[in-house]
Amino acid sequence: MESCRLSYDRCVRCGSCITFCPVFEAIGEEQYSPRGKAYLLQVMDLIEEDKELAKEFRKLLFQCTFCGRCSEICASDVDLLKVWHEQRGKAVNKAPEEFEYLDALGKSLANMMNIYGLNPEDRAEFWLDELEDEIPGIADRVYEEGKTADTMVFLGCLMSFRASQMDVLRSLFLTLEKLDVDYLVMGAEEFCCGHPLHLMGDDDGATKLREHNKGVMESAKAKRVITCCPGCLIQISTNHNLKEDVEVLHHTQLFDRLLETIPKYKQEEKFSYHDPCELHRICNVKTEPRSLLNKMGVEFEEMDLSCCGGGGLLRMTDPDLSDKIIQIRAQKEHLGDRMVLTCCPSCREQLLGANLRTKDIVEILAEALEGGEK
Amino acid sequence: MKLRDVAIGANASIYLRMNFKKIKGVFYPRTEQEIIDAIATAHDGGYSVTPKGGGSGLSGACTGGNIERVMISTLQMREVLTISKDQGYTDVQPGATPDEINALIEPIGMKFWVAPSSRDIASAAGILSTDGGGNDTWVNGTMRDNTIRAKMVLHDGRRLTVDWNGVTSDDSELEAELNKKGMTISDVASAHGTLGFITELRVKIKPFPSEKLVGGLANFEDCNAMGRALSELIKRKSPIRYGETVAAAHEDIREGLDLPLLILEFPESFASELKDILDYSDLDSEGLAKMKDVRIKLPKRNPNEGLQVALFEGYGYHGDILVKMQDAIDEINNLLMRHGFVPFARYGHAPSKWYLGDNTPAYGVVLHSREIKPEDKTSREMLDTITDIVAKCKELGITPKPEHKWPFSDEEKKTRITELRKVMGTGFNDFILDPDGAYDTLSSLV
Repeated sequence: MESCRLSYDRCVRCGSCITFCPVFEAIGEEQYSPRGKAYLLQVMDLIEEDKELAKEFRKLLFQCTFCGRCSEICASDVDLLKVWHEQRGKAVNKAPEEFEYLDALGKSLANMMNIYGLNPEDRAEFWLDELEDEIPGIADRVYEEGKTADTMVFLGCLMSFRASQMDVLRSLFLTLEKLDVDYLVMGAEEFCCGHPLHLMGDDDGATKLREHNKGVMESAKAKRVITCCPGCLIQISTNHNLKEDVEVLHHTQLFDRLLETIPKYKQEEKFSYHDPCELHRICNVKTEPRSLLNKMGVEFEEMDLSCCGGGGLLRMTDPDLSDKIIQIRAQKEHLGDRMVLTCCPSCREQLLGANLRTKDIVEILAEALEGGEK
Repeated sequence: MKLRDVAIGANASIYLRMNFKKIKGVFYPRTEQEIIDAIATAHDGGYSVTPKGGGSGLSGACTGGNIERVMISTLQMREVLTISKDQGYTDVQPGATPDEINALIEPIGMKFWVAPSSRDIASAAGILSTDGGGNDTWVNGTMRDNTIRAKMVLHDGRRLTVDWNGVTSDDSELEAELNKKGMTISDVASAHGTLGFITELRVKIKPFPSEKLVGGLANFEDCNAMGRALSELIKRKSPIRYGETVAAAHEDIREGLDLPLLILEFPESFASELKDILDYSDLDSEGLAKMKDVRIKLPKRNPNEGLQVALFEGYGYHGDILVKMQDAIDEINNLLMRHGFVPFARYGHAPSKWYLGDNTPAYGVVLHSREIKPEDKTSREMLDTITDIVAKCKELGITPKPEHKWPFSDEEKKTRITELRKVMGTGFNDFILDPDGAYDTLSSLV
């Protein structure tokens, strides 16, 4: 905790982070800004005896999208993401009763190993039922003990259970098949990557989940793991302790690597590209999504490198604030008249929730590979 | 008390430890009427009002001291209201930043030419209240030089407009009295929010010069040599469009820089004359951008161990002391070390311009400073160090730029503000004019 304290003490309160913070933009008051929060930590000794203020501060820590833009812009080199992460853990430990609304999530992860509390056996059931006719042999791609493959596909909870992600799944599998990738999907053996627990500051709780996933990946002798979810990508690449020779890639990285050229996509509408914060800012995957779009000849406008409002558990901790962030962006960036391309299931859910039209890059990639038909 | 009453104290100065119970209200107005309503609340409660912009200033004025007060932030008043390219002005809300203004007007070939390092967050009204400037102040002037008029609200709700010709107001008696006093924009500039709340500004915008600019990097044996070169640049009224120096830097952030150095941008046609004045190496556009970035990030960096603070900012070297800069820096460094501080960075605008308390323009170098703070320093010891620095500056003839100096240490400015407040009324940032020079107040905030 000392290193963390030193870290926020290094904030010189210059304010450069303020205008980049999506939460500040939505609310407009200093306490919601990164500078405001860092300042509150710096003067905490003056106010911590006030129980109501301490409680309010704990709540404030969860009114953050964890987009990491404040850390990126900070010229004082304060690792603000690390500060928020450690402070969240401290807050939950200090006053667990204030975070009872997160208990259901914690129990789902502990008992069912997914964020929805659904039967783990169903991880591969929903989409298999839907896709089995369309992609013959897809059932054989589901991991069982004894099966091996070069590539392990880690779908993540959203992609496994949400009907809204079915088109992305279909496109992902069609593309993998088209490119003759030797792959397996983890299926019922996939446990949550632990990202939600990480965002709650509870990395200890995530250990069991991660260890299981690691065991499955090793058992399948996978040389690489791919995922469409940047949150999963963070956890698998940094917290699963996979062997050094196992590559962890975002699906856009894999496809950009495998495809030197791509048939031109028959574009009939206006596209904007929303770069997922966790992908470009935390995983440093910036070029591959754009490279894929360029190879397909897709014309698109770059959106502001800002959060959609769906990160950092904000959809759970303050759904109204989360909605407000995407509504502000939709209005400011005129998203109502176009298709928003992205490559993150969580961002897609957020965009869909705001009644915006969205596609994952792999959806138009699959279309382009099928002859550019729409 | 709520966290909003605490977080409003966030600011870049060393003054941050407040008695938050004395903050009696925090407002984030979006319109002039909401400002008026917020001020009325303060008026009814008998509280002082502290206007707060981006909070990037280093004087501590936006803290409001430690008196019972209402804080009014302009963070939600950042709109550009009108743009007149033909007449060369734009009307902006008080919280608009230079970057926000320029994002809108650069596409039409115009620019607001005030560029403090904190131009991403510093508000227009805040920059006028400190009479701030930046790396091109030498050629474009300070904020006052770029302000056409300011609309203000007083503590009793009366409204007035101040420009270079005087004051207009619906209150004819107020208008007459202030005009009798000769009040102009110069009085609002550097008043640190003591005269009223600025609700709107009309600022100058100008087209980009058509001249081709080139970059150069000059290194010097020491700051005396740099001072001599700068003195000559000033004497010749050289067309330096951007001039910044890194005079000294701690080894933790020095990164191989050969110091002291000057980063210059100037018309290509001036290159040969500049060679007569100083030796420099050419910087291509990429190299120039890189050096500008090094300079702008320098003040925000920290040492490998310990924390940096800005004890005192804006050392103004002009006249005789400019050519003895190194000697003066050495004396101040010795003073700092005697107090236990390690000099960390010296950097600033060179050449530059600022105004003295009597509104006389000064031309020279505005040098900023950072020190490594000893862990065991009490707030009183820190303020004592600052007091000694002020005394040393007076002895050496260094005049702090109004952007950073304490207005209450500038007797001429203080007298003028007090005189105007007798007509306008008080109620804004009153702590700055405390008879004790606000020393006690400020020491409690460090």
